[in-house]
Amino acid sequence: MADETTAAVENVSVTIDGMELSVPAGTRLLDACAQAGVDVPHYCYHPGLSAPAQCRMCLVEVEKSPKLVPACVGTVAKDMVVHTESEAALKAREGVLEFYLVNHPLDCPVCDQSGECKLQDYVAAEGPAMGRSKEPKRVLGRDDFGGDVLFYADRCVMCTRCVRFMREVAQDERLTVVQRGHRAVIDTFFDEGLTGNLWADNIVDICPVGALVSKDFLHKARAWDLDRTPSICPNCTQGCNVRLETRDNQVMRIKPRPNPEVNAHWMCDFGRLNYQWINRVDRIEAPLVRDGSGRHVPMSWSEALMRLADALRGQTGGAAAVVSPFAANEDVGALRRVMEAVGGGGGVFRCEQGEEVTLPGFPELALRTDRAANVAGAELFGFSRAGGADGKGGLEGVAGHAGVLFVLGDELADAAADFGANASLFVYVGQHLSPAARNAHFVLPSTTFAEMEGTFTNVQRRVQRFWPALRAPGMSRPAWQILGVLLAGIGDAGAPGTAADAFAGLAAVRPEFGMLAWGDLGAQGAALPEAVGQAGD
Amino acid sequence: MAANVVVMKRPVRKSSYIRASLKGMALTFRHMRQSAGDRSEVTIQYPEQKKQLSPRWRGTHVMETHEDGRPKCVACGLCPTICPANCIKLVPGEDDQGNRYPIVYEIDEFRCIFCGMCQEVCPVEAIHVGTHYENAEYTRNEFVYDLDRLMKQRHPSTLLWDPADPAGE
Repeated sequence: MADETTAAVENVSVTIDGMELSVPAGTRLLDACAQAGVDVPHYCYHPGLSAPAQCRMCLVEVEKSPKLVPACVGTVAKDMVVHTESEAALKAREGVLEFYLVNHPLDCPVCDQSGECKLQDYVAAEGPAMGRSKEPKRVLGRDDFGGDVLFYADRCVMCTRCVRFMREVAQDERLTVVQRGHRAVIDTFFDEGLTGNLWADNIVDICPVGALVSKDFLHKARAWDLDRTPSICPNCTQGCNVRLETRDNQVMRIKPRPNPEVNAHWMCDFGRLNYQWINRVDRIEAPLVRDGSGRHVPMSWSEALMRLADALRGQTGGAAAVVSPFAANEDVGALRRVMEAVGGGGGVFRCEQGEEVTLPGFPELALRTDRAANVAGAELFGFSRAGGADGKGGLEGVAGHAGVLFVLGDELADAAADFGANASLFVYVGQHLSPAARNAHFVLPSTTFAEMEGTFTNVQRRVQRFWPALRAPGMSRPAWQILGVLLAGIGDAGAPGTAADAFAGLAAVRPEFGMLAWGDLGAQGAALPEAVGQAGD
Repeated sequence: MAANVVVMKRPVRKSSYIRASLKGMALTFRHMRQSAGDRSEVTIQYPEQKKQLSPRWRGTHVMETHEDGRPKCVACGLCPTICPANCIKLVPGEDDQGNRYPIVYEIDEFRCIFCGMCQEVCPVEAIHVGTHYENAEYTRNEFVYDLDRLMKQRHPSTLLWDPADPAGE
């Protein structure tokens, strides 16, 4: 089979800027150039959209072709010789750029795109040194497109990526080009504009200039001030690959990262704008242990974990647990192993739910019903769903539990004030000290996903890594580290030193994870194999 | 080892300090006599009288304002980016006319090294370093100049280079 498919597409040899390479026939010239290490400037072309070849920025010279060829629609042919930096190509692109600047306001100092703007980049690289236009610039001002999108008409280069995104991918045609020629401008059809479309903010990402900007991010940070960390969107089970863009230890915005298996180039506005909870500052900063008089005493990690291990050692009566569906696989798996070491037991997780909304142009991507990243992981490690669609309730079974009680990550904001009061040992591993969490004998501060390394399992059973983007507050540690050290204290397991160690430890509970090597996950994740001959628990 | 030490014999005429001391005192006396009347060459009557500063002098900052009193700053963020001492704090925002402006603009003049790069990089000629050196305050905190303080500074701003010698030769 593999031979047939490779035979169907013949490789041809092409020369790009003097570099000879062999690519499949029919490859887009722009992609072939990228393979040769040449970044051909372009505005209208986007890998997730159709290519109308209207921006005229990707013109390259092809030998024996009478005119310059737009690299975004031209395809390679046998023995083609391409010059992207020839005199004719450079002259053409410089001319195009000069036209783009005729009406561009050059307001880079106040433009949010400044620093990541393609017009800025290309003009700096190969644009004219001086403008020759003496006429006054056209001034259109700014328009509210509804939703999270603001439109600065003067900055627009009319690439129509936004119009094509709404037509082809969101399949909800709300934008169009009105007027012709130099009067042409992007506009909405109706007064509501983009309001109500869940995917509208993607047009802010694909806008190559500062014409479409996010209201949420307006004037908030400069592009060059942001630190970008690859991560996974925590706000639903889809697990969109994202970048957390941070400054001063705060998440400033979330941007999608391409992954053809999960989210292509897109993500929804719900996930994108729902990041304020990551920046919450009311965090537990030190391990707290309840002393004889009932007061919580801050302690060092070694002291707190030693006392907890002493309390847990010899327990065989099993445990009850509440876990958060925002906790990583490593966290939940480590808790499962600790619970098995004290005699097993069941646990629940609570997850907020909402309506599922699919992206019509890429149906693999949807805002999923479950609005937390690791529901699949929590279920794999034997925790069952409880509570309502608002993510509340469902604690009746564990609130009055008399034995050992673990809470991992769940804030317990809605729990009764006497939650866990009957437990012989109540261990709270989490971020926020709610009234219910104050009943715990041990309060251990853990990090959020944004402050640690780990993996989530998404709705497609795809295991995807995320990386630490923020500094963890105080003494807080990843839960897999807390629970891994605890497990080493009560059992004979070794304490995990890295997230890779913690991930390897998951195989002890779920053998499927053993079939997946940490090194294979990469930046794009890998599908979790089905367990062979293993009855799920 | 004392046997190896050779004590040089010098005539008193050469080794005496009296002659050298008298020579030095004579020079001092000559200068005293010269400046006994007019001392303007060495002393100026500060603070009534002040020295002419170099046009390249770089002192505490000045924020230029529009005629209606708004700061010229558009909060582009270039000065905190270029600042090698990291002494500029800027929080951008939008005013009621939709213009980008600095909600917070603070310069820590203690941390500042007065390199003048903020003035060079400013795209709207808003922030300047001034030709000014009389900086005295009652508390250290007052050396963190906020936007109001920067706009109230009245001293002239520096030219960064001498117009008579632009290449600095």
